Amino acid sequence: MADHRRYFEEIELGEEYESPGRTVTEADIVMFAGLSGDYNVLHTDAEFMKRTVFGERIAHGLLCLAIQSGLFTRATAPYATLGSGGLRWKFKAPVKIGDTIRLRAKVVDKRDLDKPDRGLITLDRTILNQRDEVVQQGQTDLVVQKRP
Amino acid sequence: MTSATYFEDIVVDQPKTTPAITVTAAHVEMYQGLTRELSTEPGEIPDVLTLCMAIGLGWRVKDPPMAVQAFVALDWKIVRELRVGDTMHTSSRIVSKRPMRDAGLIVDERTILDQHGEVVQQGRFTFLVAKRRKEASA
Repeated sequence: MADHRRYFEEIELGEEYESPGRTVTEADIVMFAGLSGDYNVLHTDAEFMKRTVFGERIAHGLLCLAIQSGLFTRATAPYATLGSGGLRWKFKAPVKIGDTIRLRAKVVDKRDLDKPDRGLITLDRTILNQRDEVVQQGQTDLVVQKRP
Repeated sequence: MTSATYFEDIVVDQPKTTPAITVTAAHVEMYQGLTRELSTEPGEIPDVLTLCMAIGLGWRVKDPPMAVQAFVALDWKIVRELRVGDTMHTSSRIVSKRPMRDAGLIVDERTILDQHGEVVQQGRFTFLVAKRRKEASA
């Protein structure tokens, strides 16, 4: 198979992507609780949540962060990513069962790293729901391979 | 109601260590099914999966769970990758508390370590934690 991963040099500042939507289901939340071990009442106790401002169970913040990570791979051709450098992230609004989220991302910085074979790409990322409300927003740094 | 650790009960600068968990290929399979985030290399643990499991470990301490109302922010550094078969645990401490009306913001500094004690990921979580309900308003 031809390698269609994009190297550091091929990724341009200002590139923007928008992913397909993804409906967050009860099954997603239950699976994520099992996988992460995060059984906090916010995500698992429907009766308790009826008495809160949310009115129902909400998705884990990190579930949506993980889903957007997957949506990114459906939004654009894959980068020649070697790893992640970090993230600065804000959780702005709850995601409820049945909400449909999508990712909007933009390349905002490109920097060389000490190792000459790689560079750092910073992306602004916004997760929107079906009402175009921002539910999560932040920046992620990816370590991307340079053209060999 | 189950007991909880409210904003007033939270002690700043008290170190906490969680039990450890071995990260397996089954975790990666489940994670990929759930998120469709495809790993770049076989045997590599996606960084976000490591982070997700760290937050679960955070609940496995002796104290009653924090009465978290919302996850507010995350400032996070990935230091190195875990591989299938590695065993991770976390250590943490609350570094600041800021009271608000019915709740308060706390900043929780966490470090994920591997079986050799080497730092894997590190950063700060900001949570909104409920205050104890006053008798009069009940």
